[in-house]
Amino acid sequence: MMIVNYVASVLLVVLGLYTIITKKNIIKIVLGTGIVDYGINLFIVSVGFTPGGTAPIFTINEIVSGSHFVDPVPQALTLTSIVIGACVDAMALSLCIKLYKQYKTTNADEIRRLHG
Amino acid sequence: MNYVHFPVLAVMLLFLTAFLIVIFGRLSSVLRNALALIGSAGAFAMIVYLIKPVMIDGEIISYWMGNWEPVAGYAIGIGYEIDQLGLFFALLVVSTILLSCIYSFKYMEKDSSLEFYYVLFLMMSGAVLGLVLTGDVFNMFIMIEIMTFSAVGLTAFRNNRWGAVEAAFKYLIIGTIGSSLILFGIAMLYADCHTLNMAQLSSILSGNINPASLMAFAMMLTGLGIKSFIVPFHAPAADAYTAAPSSISMVFSGMVNKAGVYGIIRLVYIIFRAMDIRQLQYLLAAFGAVTMFIGVTMALAQHDFKRLLAFHSISQIGYVITAVSLGTALGLTGGLFHAMNHTLFKGLLFLCAGAVLKETGTTNLDKLGGLSKKMPKTTICFLIGAFSISGIPPFNGFASKWLIYQAAFSKAVETGNFFFVIITVCAVVVSVMTLASFIKVTQAVFFGQLPEKFENVKEAPFLMRLPMWIMAICCVLSGVFYGFVDKYLVGPAAGAALGVSHYIDTMMGSGYAAAAGVTDIKAAPAQFSYWDPIIWLVLFVIVLAAVCFVMVTGKGDRGRISVSGKAAEDGKYATFFSGEKSLPSHVSGSDLFWGFKKDWKKYFAVIEDLHSGVVNDYALWAVAASALIIVVLFGFVR
Repeated sequence: MMIVNYVASVLLVVLGLYTIITKKNIIKIVLGTGIVDYGINLFIVSVGFTPGGTAPIFTINEIVSGSHFVDPVPQALTLTSIVIGACVDAMALSLCIKLYKQYKTTNADEIRRLHG
Repeated sequence: MNYVHFPVLAVMLLFLTAFLIVIFGRLSSVLRNALALIGSAGAFAMIVYLIKPVMIDGEIISYWMGNWEPVAGYAIGIGYEIDQLGLFFALLVVSTILLSCIYSFKYMEKDSSLEFYYVLFLMMSGAVLGLVLTGDVFNMFIMIEIMTFSAVGLTAFRNNRWGAVEAAFKYLIIGTIGSSLILFGIAMLYADCHTLNMAQLSSILSGNINPASLMAFAMMLTGLGIKSFIVPFHAPAADAYTAAPSSISMVFSGMVNKAGVYGIIRLVYIIFRAMDIRQLQYLLAAFGAVTMFIGVTMALAQHDFKRLLAFHSISQIGYVITAVSLGTALGLTGGLFHAMNHTLFKGLLFLCAGAVLKETGTTNLDKLGGLSKKMPKTTICFLIGAFSISGIPPFNGFASKWLIYQAAFSKAVETGNFFFVIITVCAVVVSVMTLASFIKVTQAVFFGQLPEKFENVKEAPFLMRLPMWIMAICCVLSGVFYGFVDKYLVGPAAGAALGVSHYIDTMMGSGYAAAAGVTDIKAAPAQFSYWDPIIWLVLFVIVLAAVCFVMVTGKGDRGRISVSGKAAEDGKYATFFSGEKSLPSHVSGSDLFWGFKKDWKKYFAVIEDLHSGVVNDYALWAVAASALIIVVLFGFVR
């Protein structure tokens, strides 16, 4: 059943958050946000799955009552979410490059000019 | 003219002009500015046109993209739905966009790569407008993501100034945690209800919240809390407001965190209809009160003009959350009214800070001073904003804060619970501290001694003053004619949040709400039962007239004795009049409340340590707070 997927997705999210909280390297923090995204994508795609379903590609005449296919909406959502996740990573990494140029370090503990 | 297309067209116009600027913006600066103005003014005109049908006639507009209407009671397509609550926030959004756009023309003129500035600005505007108008939770998530990206890009726009990139990075990481939680919540809701439409979700979830949807609720609440920067999530906001250009700081406090507040209201009042759960009220009210208090105390400790305003912005959002958390019609009215007033006065204050930054080149409170002689018009605007945010009658901050005190106290009386008494006292104390810190800012920036290097400072140009004047006038008008505002803007919005069956029926077909067993909560009109701001206005005018009278008639030697002629020569009075030249005070204007800070030294040491500036710590706060919300909801609600 899908229980393995759900457990794995929650584990991925928790691991990603753990990475964000504990790792001091800003590149690793960005990777942590990526892992959270993957966990959520796995979760969404698992939500739409039904055992034995076919791909949800039909024309209006082919659909008869009793056709068995997986839910197409979560797949569309996952696709959108993957794109957004890629954008987050790209933007965060470009900011990392800028940060390294300005601070000469990738250690989050030293990037704290704005505080208090 | 068929106005049902206007909401979608307004969102699309903003995105369209953004992409046109990508293509043509490099050709000429005039074309670029014209496109930006067309986008923001067009969206403004279209949304304002909707006031008549939606706010006054009480119509709710539904719009299905590609005409994918619900089939057999199931919403499949993406729907836009404009009720009074959505339109109320949309009005805040479009007016912020238009004023900020006008301000940017002059304010940003010295920066390079401005076409990207306007692209990001218009995309952020379109995203927030889409967010408040949409009726689909996944569409809402997409809009939140576009908003966050453009906001991060704009925070880092002046990346030659120190701190901008750092602030953008922190904002992006914390913002991403928020977006991920929202997406997780939406996925769980979909798994539970098999729909993404808000109206249908509301009718399905009405009265039967199971553990899955409760978990989804907790995650979405945390995510939207991060987007509205309430306290455990506020640290990147203070950095971002400080580092962004002032026209963008205004947009952040005017509509980006309002988008989060809107999301919370939509979530708790309409999608889950969970405000009758008492523990949720306590939770949100506690978050609001902590937000108010920590925001204002952090503001007292600041030495940067914009960072101080940023912490005040956070503190004022605490008022809105507290008022909304009460779950009464009066509280909701006060909260929405304060949200609107916050957009006006905080935008005004940020624009004043921007004018000071542009003319003097610094926002450090220790270096500024005496600018009222050089920038009198900016000073007047700033004073109006400061009076409003401190809740001095007859300005608008008083009207909304008064409603909030009243709502919190009547809630305390109604439930007999001491907790809400503490909330009320906290709100009043925070208001006093707000006033105190604005006395400090006014003294440090506009009065006191003018440093020599600012001798040549000029008044801000007219195009920058115009949005400031408009906002200042709105601050006064909405404070004096609060009844008018309540009747046509705030009242309908609060009513829409409380009575959802009309919302559901418009979207899903009439009779749908009744079939699902949805019942409305009765909305009562707000009343300023005890103290009427009009009386305060009259008092204010009388006192002002008296002061003017004394100043005009008593001109000349009042309080001054001239010693001349013989008396001056014989030295008899020398003891009294020769004197030494007065020494400047050792306490600078930015440190006016040093005594208070000394008394609370331990508190400030702890609280400043907590704002460590390390992104891991901020992420830890966010995750810990989300765990707290989940524990409270599961431990006490079920």
